[in-house]
Amino acid sequence: MRPAIAQYYPGDSVIHRLDARAKFVAVTALAVALFVRDSFAGLAVFAAAGVIAYLLSGVPVAWFWRAFRPLLWLIALTFLAQVLFAPGEPFFSFWVFDFSWAGLEFAAFLSLRLVVLVLIGSVLTLTTAPLALTDGLAWLGRPLRRLRVPTDELALMVTIALRFIPTLLVELDQIMRAQRARGADFSTGGPIRRARALVPVLTPLFVLSFRRADELALAMEARCYRPGIVRTRLRPLKAGAGDAVLLAVTAAVIAAGLLV
Amino acid sequence: MTPSAAPARDVPEALLQIRDLRYRYPGASVDALAGLDLTVSAGEFVAVVGANGSGKSTLARILGGLEKPASAAVAVACGHDLLTEDGRMAARREVGVLFQNPENQLVAECVEDDVAFGLENLAWPPADIRLRVDEMLARFWLTELRTREPHLLSGGQKQRTALAGVLAVPRRVLVLDEPTAMLDPAGRAEVLDAVRGLRAEGLAVVYVTQEMDEVVGADRAVALDHGAVVYSGAVRGLFGEGDLVRRLGLGLPAAGDLALELAARGRRLEPLPLTLDELVRDLGWTP
Amino acid sequence: MRDAAPAVDATSAGRGMALSCRDVAFSYEEARAPIPALRGVGFELAAGRSLALLGASGSGKSTLLQVVKGLDAPEAGAVLLDGTATGAPAYTGLQREVGLVFQTPELQLFAVSAREDVAFGPRRLGWSEAEVAAAVDEAMELVGLPPADFGGRHPYALSGGEQRRLALAGVLAMRPRLLLLDEPFVSLDPATRRELASILRRLRRDGVTLVLATHDVDLAWALCDELLVLDAGRVAACGPWDLGESGRELLAASRLKEPFLVQLWRRLGRDPAGAPRTVAEAAEALR
Repeated sequence: MRPAIAQYYPGDSVIHRLDARAKFVAVTALAVALFVRDSFAGLAVFAAAGVIAYLLSGVPVAWFWRAFRPLLWLIALTFLAQVLFAPGEPFFSFWVFDFSWAGLEFAAFLSLRLVVLVLIGSVLTLTTAPLALTDGLAWLGRPLRRLRVPTDELALMVTIALRFIPTLLVELDQIMRAQRARGADFSTGGPIRRARALVPVLTPLFVLSFRRADELALAMEARCYRPGIVRTRLRPLKAGAGDAVLLAVTAAVIAAGLLV
Repeated sequence: MTPSAAPARDVPEALLQIRDLRYRYPGASVDALAGLDLTVSAGEFVAVVGANGSGKSTLARILGGLEKPASAAVAVACGHDLLTEDGRMAARREVGVLFQNPENQLVAECVEDDVAFGLENLAWPPADIRLRVDEMLARFWLTELRTREPHLLSGGQKQRTALAGVLAVPRRVLVLDEPTAMLDPAGRAEVLDAVRGLRAEGLAVVYVTQEMDEVVGADRAVALDHGAVVYSGAVRGLFGEGDLVRRLGLGLPAAGDLALELAARGRRLEPLPLTLDELVRDLGWTP
Repeated sequence: MRDAAPAVDATSAGRGMALSCRDVAFSYEEARAPIPALRGVGFELAAGRSLALLGASGSGKSTLLQVVKGLDAPEAGAVLLDGTATGAPAYTGLQREVGLVFQTPELQLFAVSAREDVAFGPRRLGWSEAEVAAAVDEAMELVGLPPADFGGRHPYALSGGEQRRLALAGVLAMRPRLLLLDEPFVSLDPATRRELASILRRLRRDGVTLVLATHDVDLAWALCDELLVLDAGRVAACGPWDLGESGRELLAASRLKEPFLVQLWRRLGRDPAGAPRTVAEAAEALR
């Protein structure tokens, strides 16, 4: 029901308890290092770090796999593109394609790099509640407030959007069913006909969403919300010794990955 | 505002005082509220009834400080003047409003975060929020659902969560705008159970509804028609005026409905029975 | 509803369609394990009869209606329309004569005028414009929205009750011989509820087979010949209203009370099997 990126596995592991900001900084730094370094040895170091973090998180493989699955095509495509088009001494040719060991190696490297990136990124999204993550991002984005970027309001917007995605999907399904019951057909005809078939679905969905926005705004005001107010949080972001350790370990891993 | 501070000034007898209240929606040709009067005191449970479009929801919004009245001779909620911007903002802290659609009131990704939302907006310290949220969760039987996502809740659970969120902010008045209209009987019973205890705490409750069964327990019934009060008084008195109830497009409790049909056929039951027990008794059947 | 609305002639409404379900099973795909929503549901409904579909939220009422309409294919078992099973050449045509009114159907209105919205379904049936126009006029009259007054209005500019009736007209214009309704009375005011009930009574008189999923036992009692109680996707009770002690227990197990008039008859020491269907009939008997 939810996009893979927002998939959160509630838990109480060491990784879950780390501060969202520390995790985000660590993951971003690792991702950058991953792209700077272009050797299998470096990749191995980052992969090992990712696997250890994953094992510590206690997230079931099935959840992990769900985050991975949608990206398999992307990874496979990257591999194929590199194998087919990378330059190098061919050991096998077919039509316009040349297969070279160097190309194969490069393709494998790029695909593995993507795999490691998804691994590390998934540990973050699987162990961090979306709310904590948006709060963390809002905190990290605070310097932007000086440029009049309303970071807290943006974070709240993202939270609300995530909250309503499942609701919206259910409504979309209901409206499509209702119009199908009146004879609407969404699956045949050319692209223009199909696009036109969506009018009876999208119109009510928009109307519903606008009404929702109105009612939600009212309910928020009724609970004393006003844009620009200073809010506290039920679960304040709290960095502890663990987060310092995380950042230190991350620094060490990056150093190792870049130097091996 | 600090968490423990109940407002320290004198508690006025009347928490809501409204006289000659008027409101018109932009672009509308008639007033949604046309000279409405209403007074509600602490500890009072007032049912407000009226057909769709009679102005009930508009009234609920104005009482909660969420809409600016067009004009009023008096419009005071918990001592705050609803005609001024500052007064409305202050009223929002003391007058809670629960709306009809449970889905469109929940903001946060899980139950306890949603209950905390109002307190976060009032910048309570996190430790105090935690205490108050736990108290609300326990009171509305939500403790086990605390980490549940809103879209996985039943209608009744959603509405209880919304109610807990409204009451997490300490209130003196609670306005409920048809809180059971979109719920199934089970959800409706849940919400009514949750509302039942509120009066005992000295909260003034304004309960807007079209369900006549829910009106029966109220201290007072107020009927609206075209934005004005056409009846204010005992619940029984409202039903006694069967013609009025029908003219307003409202329904009677089933027992009253049958009694009116009987009256039309020449068999008059006085006073109008409102429950099955009363009807059985009035029909002269003793078990 | 206007009293002057002309009666639908018997040929256009058609005779009702017989419905029978045999061991119908269906489950929803969820993240890991499929959740069974219907587990071996079987019943027979003769042409022109009306069936009340009762049961708690989540008991499978909506799912059953959608399976009967063919929006979901049953995983096991069969839905027979007029004795014809899926796969038979005539089945697709029969399925078009099944109308399904969703819960809060006004949420699906989309066209720029009431008339256009009602015409959506008939046009999909490939009728000529003249036939479509006739069907639209007839359906709008039937629901008490005369096309001369309402045809050009924007659906979103109508009141809640009018929107509900317009959405119903959108389904009726397709001239269903079997009409499935999912909670048609939810969030309507008492007056609109009465109007809707009289529309349904009228369809019943015209011989349309009705299946009415509802929480409102009193309306079900007033409108339906038969009863099907679902409990967690299984048939808990089925057949003519069973007013014996076991029937009462079954209703209670599904968190439903007995119809008011049945309770009254029982309390008055009369035979509950002879309880009247409407308040007017009850008043006649008690005058």
